[in-house]
Amino acid sequence: MRDVVIIGVGMTRFGKFLERSLQDLGREAVWNALEDAGVPPEDIQIAYVANSLAYQLTEVKGTVGQHVLANAGFFRIPVINVENACSSGSTALRGACLEVASGNYDVALALGVEKLFCDDTAKSALAMASGTPYAKFGFMFPALYSMELKKWMEKYSVTQLHFAKVAAKNSRNGSLNPNAQFRKALSVEEILNSRVIAYPLTLYMCSTMGDGAAAAIVCTRDRARRYTSKPLVHVAACELVSGTVNLPNQPHVNLEANAAGLAYQKAGIGPEDINVAEVHDGMAPAEMWIYEKLGLCKEGEAARMVDEGMTEITGPIPVNPSGGLAAKGHPVGATGLAQVAEIVWQLRGEAGERQVKNPRIGLTENAGGWVIDDNAACAVTILKR
Amino acid sequence: MTEQSNNEPATGKKQIPVQEGLFYQPKSPDEKPYLIGARCAVCGYVSFPKLMVCPRCIKQGTMEEAHIGGKGKVDMFSTCYAALPGFKAPSIQGFINLEEGGRIWSLITGVDPSDEDAIKTGMDVELVIEKLREDTDGNEIMSYKFRPVKA
Repeated sequence: MRDVVIIGVGMTRFGKFLERSLQDLGREAVWNALEDAGVPPEDIQIAYVANSLAYQLTEVKGTVGQHVLANAGFFRIPVINVENACSSGSTALRGACLEVASGNYDVALALGVEKLFCDDTAKSALAMASGTPYAKFGFMFPALYSMELKKWMEKYSVTQLHFAKVAAKNSRNGSLNPNAQFRKALSVEEILNSRVIAYPLTLYMCSTMGDGAAAAIVCTRDRARRYTSKPLVHVAACELVSGTVNLPNQPHVNLEANAAGLAYQKAGIGPEDINVAEVHDGMAPAEMWIYEKLGLCKEGEAARMVDEGMTEITGPIPVNPSGGLAAKGHPVGATGLAQVAEIVWQLRGEAGERQVKNPRIGLTENAGGWVIDDNAACAVTILKR
Repeated sequence: MTEQSNNEPATGKKQIPVQEGLFYQPKSPDEKPYLIGARCAVCGYVSFPKLMVCPRCIKQGTMEEAHIGGKGKVDMFSTCYAALPGFKAPSIQGFINLEEGGRIWSLITGVDPSDEDAIKTGMDVELVIEKLREDTDGNEIMSYKFRPVKA
């Protein structure tokens, strides 16, 4: 397999854009990435396009990628449409990387695009819940997180205050990110005093719906030098797993740990080598679990990580410098590629006010959907400068 | 208490199961409700809803329909103050360990949903078929729930 590098990334701001179409959001992200990469559009040879909910919420009921790319000026090239709920974006990146690594193509585009706001908020809410077949029974994702969190709090003396601190950190990071949906930095008190959704979760700990798009252009290392003099970001691993079913008397294989283990092995590194991470915090407190699942700390040490500010932008292992899902926004199919864009900017030293000090290796973790006992999918990507 | 009769729909209104083939709603007081799941004839793995292939044996043709879920214990739960359009908040939702094996998601009923101390982990619960919500025509959409067993 050939080495694959990311030579350009781009995104729209995330937010509520009732006046903008799915196609318009996709076009902006693609052309931002082209400009960043210095790649002329005719050099893009294949595209993987991630989207999760357009068929429910827009007039585009299928072949989303071809519709969006036609509006961006792309015809003829192969387009692969990708749907993996919240992890669709990373799944698209994986496809694009494999096309280049295998030698099929030299330059590939990965795009994630999502348009969740429409005139009927109830319709949007129902569509977002459709990542699980249980929505029609009244199933609520925050309640699921809440149950797991309550168990975890008991086991490791984690408190609601820890969760508020994580949400406040991400809100502060988001306030420094011009692409974030929510740019007001919320205090720990404001987060604790916001409406309870399902104890210990309050409103400001939860991600909400958003519109937006994000894109990355990948190519071979040799080819990259034709286009750009910027630091090349090597895709050292882009691993994808599906969830498992709980079987009696068998230990549960954790999805995030499983994906991360494969990614570390592929990249030939360990969690101690990670300098910056973007993780899938659909509910901000879940970020703390993910520290442990990714091995950024030992089991039971996440609370200490938060108390000591280890994952702040200025800490030794900054997590979600972009603001994460709750502050940056979570346009489902675009999220994974926005995480990748953030890590690329961080590794290149282009992250402005939220720049982490001189990171060399970054990680993204992007999970989504729900099947029987587990998330449907999880992708972990490791990027090296 | 939100307990209600299963068999007396309001005049002109129908009771419609939220999903066909998922549970049995008693037609008389002598009958008990059950969930329609599946059990592996080889290893005993229980699933609800039905799985067609046993995830442990991974062979075709071992899963048989099983009427299960009359009783169970609360594994974990949460009171949720947000709801999807058409549903009531607050609700109590949780995972139930079934007597027959298997762990399933369910709404928990039979107590004041805003009383966060009404349900305890490990509590004995029993299956009930209840109104989940009303559709736009006022029909009652019925679903399975669990409620604490009366001492």
